Amino acid sequence: MQSYVSLTLSNISIERGERDLCKGLSVVAQFGRLYQIVGENGAGKSSLLKVIAGLLRPIEGDIYLDDRVISAAMNQWSRDCLYLGHQDGVKKLLTVEENIRCYCPKASAENIHTALAQLDLLSYQHTPVKQLSAGQAKRVALSRLWLSDQAIWLLDEPFSSLDVKGRALLEDKLEQQLIRGGLVILTTHQALLRIDAQSIELTL
Amino acid sequence: MTYFSFLRAECCLVWRRKQNVVNSVLFFLLVIVLFPLGIDATPMFLSKAASGIIWCAAALAILTSIDSLFKEDYHDGSLEQWLISGLSVPILVLIKMTLHWLFIALPLLLLSPILSEVLYLPDNSFWPLFLSIVLATPSLFLLGGIGSAITVSLRQGGVLMLLIVLPLYLPIIIFATSITKAAQVGLPYDAPLAILAAIFLVSLVVSPLMTAISIKASVN
Repeated sequence: MQSYVSLTLSNISIERGERDLCKGLSVVAQFGRLYQIVGENGAGKSSLLKVIAGLLRPIEGDIYLDDRVISAAMNQWSRDCLYLGHQDGVKKLLTVEENIRCYCPKASAENIHTALAQLDLLSYQHTPVKQLSAGQAKRVALSRLWLSDQAIWLLDEPFSSLDVKGRALLEDKLEQQLIRGGLVILTTHQALLRIDAQSIELTL
Repeated sequence: MTYFSFLRAECCLVWRRKQNVVNSVLFFLLVIVLFPLGIDATPMFLSKAASGIIWCAAALAILTSIDSLFKEDYHDGSLEQWLISGLSVPILVLIKMTLHWLFIALPLLLLSPILSEVLYLPDNSFWPLFLSIVLATPSLFLLGGIGSAITVSLRQGGVLMLLIVLPLYLPIIIFATSITKAAQVGLPYDAPLAILAAIFLVSLVVSPLMTAISIKASVN
């Protein structure tokens, strides 16, 4: 994993469909911390995550990783950043293992085995995802957190449809990411139980 | 994600969705069987119309199958993952289209000897027909991919896609059928064959780029 010090959003303005979602947002996010984007429904939380991931272009402003503008080095950025959107790219027709192998081709069989064991998915390894419940499908998407080593995690509602045990498991994983010096930015409507989250406020 | 892991996942997906391939091929066969029944089943008429019938059926079968090329990827968020994977999206698109071409066009090619017998196609025009299918169906897929990517975020995008793609299909179908027509009367058919090859090469270069741009626009 690459190590960095800070991710700086400088004067970001986002517009979606003629509507200003945020104007002149500036945040300095330190690595080793977790940031929670808070705001009402429709305030633009997901759009902000997409802007940081590089999927949307802000109408104004730049994002810096340490001192470098990320839009100048998108290739390096996509190696450092893991984005899981609301639709998380899990293929319903593929089995759990095939999905994981598609996104994390370098993961060894052992690592996949331990990750699946932790996520309670071991007995479903060869089951198509369409036969799993919503919470289990979410776990399949989240398994990428266990198997790849990006420094920056951008997670859109990662806790949705997870049960209590799943939530605790994910919080553990987020904590580990912070301890090894990573950065987590997420949106969620529920309060985190154990991790001390900094908040990025979006107002309508 | 790497190109290879993407290719492997896409192969699995095409295989799991083999019903779609069967549907397209069945549709192709049905059109060909119904045509003579509806118009005229005499060998004199059919031997002249055979290549046209086969080509119309092939174009329709490809159009119906290509409509949903990126639909599922759009709805499950895979397109977003392609865009931020750091891989070249035009190459991913090309991999996907090549796979679909293999799965749809190969059955059509395998069936073409039987069908040309069924439709009394003269022997001297079978190989020209075969060549025209080999050269022209990739262009149909490549150009159809652009339309499919532009309309992927629309709920009822099917008709719009037809409107975008059909004008691009016309020259291909005209030149493809003129190959067999020329062969039937013993004329050389190098010129339309060369034009089909040129259309294929141009769409091979242009289509993945355009499709990638359309995907980017659709995801936003």
